[in-house]
Amino acid sequence: MAVKIRTAASVAIAAPLLFVALFPVIWAFLSSLKNLRDIVSPVPILIFKPTLANFATVLNTPAVQLGLTNSVVIVGSAVIIGVLFGWPAAYAVSRMKGRIKEEYQFFVLSIRFMPPVAVAIPFMALYMNLGINDTRLSLVLTYSLITISTIIWMSIPGFEGVPAEIQEAAELDGCSPLRVFLRVALPYALPSLVGGLLFTFVIVWNELLIALVLTAKNVTLPVVASSFSTLGMEVPWGVINASAMLLCVPPLIFIVMLMNFLNRFFKAKDIL
Amino acid sequence: MGAGVLNKTMPATVIAREGVKSATASRTRQMRRFAFWMASPAFVVLALLALPPTFGALWLAFQNRSLERAHSHWVGFANFYRLWRDYRFWNALEITGIWELITVLGAMVVALILGILLFEKVRGRTLNFVCLGLLLPILLPRIAAGLIWRFMLSPLMGVINYPFHLLGLQPIAFLDSPSTALYAIAMVDVWQWGLFFAVILVKAMQTLPKSPMEAAHLDGARVWQLHLFVNLPALRGTLITMLFVKAVESLRSFDLIYTMTTGGPGVATETLDLYAYQAGIGISGRISYAAAMSVLLMLTTTIIFSLTWKKTRKWR
Repeated sequence: MAVKIRTAASVAIAAPLLFVALFPVIWAFLSSLKNLRDIVSPVPILIFKPTLANFATVLNTPAVQLGLTNSVVIVGSAVIIGVLFGWPAAYAVSRMKGRIKEEYQFFVLSIRFMPPVAVAIPFMALYMNLGINDTRLSLVLTYSLITISTIIWMSIPGFEGVPAEIQEAAELDGCSPLRVFLRVALPYALPSLVGGLLFTFVIVWNELLIALVLTAKNVTLPVVASSFSTLGMEVPWGVINASAMLLCVPPLIFIVMLMNFLNRFFKAKDIL
Repeated sequence: MGAGVLNKTMPATVIAREGVKSATASRTRQMRRFAFWMASPAFVVLALLALPPTFGALWLAFQNRSLERAHSHWVGFANFYRLWRDYRFWNALEITGIWELITVLGAMVVALILGILLFEKVRGRTLNFVCLGLLLPILLPRIAAGLIWRFMLSPLMGVINYPFHLLGLQPIAFLDSPSTALYAIAMVDVWQWGLFFAVILVKAMQTLPKSPMEAAHLDGARVWQLHLFVNLPALRGTLITMLFVKAVESLRSFDLIYTMTTGGPGVATETLDLYAYQAGIGISGRISYAAAMSVLLMLTTTIIFSLTWKKTRKWR
């Protein structure tokens, strides 16, 4: 009896919470499969003839294709740069002690504080002077500021989780510090490092303000998506919902991986 | 202590240990040099890339650079003087303050209530399932979240207005009315962050030792007392970090506000970053004017966050 009451209470709390969290997404998904006639109805329509026309419209827009290519190239390059500079630095920080460590961490964090608008506008003026405004290079450079600092910040706990004994044992066996890093610490920490990597990828993939300021023709996907919402009076809601759904695809692929990362992060350190 | 005894009684070991000690010292030196070379490239790149948003912005703020003309000259404090007398700037400052307050408080309150509720009442697999579901909103791109909710809040076909329609009431245009627009956007922000923080809190509470809770429970404490006086103080570090992260993240809400209202109606939801964007790119292309705003924004946030970060170190 008591168990039954408890289960009922548990469902009574869990169900509405799940509804609040999931309903908007499900509703947008359903709407992305509707004809405009079924969308423009004050009474929500639950049974309708699904259509893929909205997705076709989105994917056939030239701006979307350009935006997708640009996003992949720009975000991919920025994340690779972030890893190349960020992982070694994070490892070094994890093995530092005392004041230098704190100052380095604070320096990295203070870059994470920077308001995006304060990053975007001076960079735009600089790139106009250099003649590289509205190029992929300009966005990769600017995004590197975000990817390097975020990857360092998120990777330190992963490297700190590598047991000191394993590293010392390898050192006593005559491994150089570089070998210890590449052969011992990196493989050991990799599962949690990948989490930080995905997190950084998602942040940059979704970035709007900097891309909006620094690009005119060479747009990224978020810029294209936001331009859909500012179209005049005839709001193409089906197309908007379809593009919202498409934007969600990469982060949704990562949901399970991120959950795994959160669990590991908590074991490593009692900090967000 | 065992090692000390060995040293005194066995000279051979002493020699061996001295050897190990000097080897350790050289390893430490080697390690230090290695750490320096590993940490420096990232430091140099970050420092170089941080120059434009800091010193570059400061330099721009004292010029009269605009989108049309590449040439500019020194104008002293003219941009800042103009800001001081700009009604729209003060409005943006006020909106930013209100936004920061309601989103940070909203996310924390929602997280605390839901976190404790879930921890107390929902167990095992159901809990894991709910946690996974509650993570979905934060994983949505802000633009997608903005578009989805803009559609749901639409006065004519929005599903949120359906209950009003059923009751025969006038639909409410949440995003078109200056008095509700900011709160409607804040609701979306709290939908994303509050639910995410609730999951973090549940996970953090699960790592807490059970014995203090059980002891207090045996002493006859009520559930809310247990949480208020036992659990929450133990989670102080997590809570402060959450507060800090949210305060920083709330200042990055350009994408959400831009997709939902673009700062409107009028300037009712125009935060500082939206106004700086509009001034620098959108309406007038006055780059220097926008730079002056971003310098002020940068200074304020850096000072406030540095102080809080250093002050709260001992609690983290």
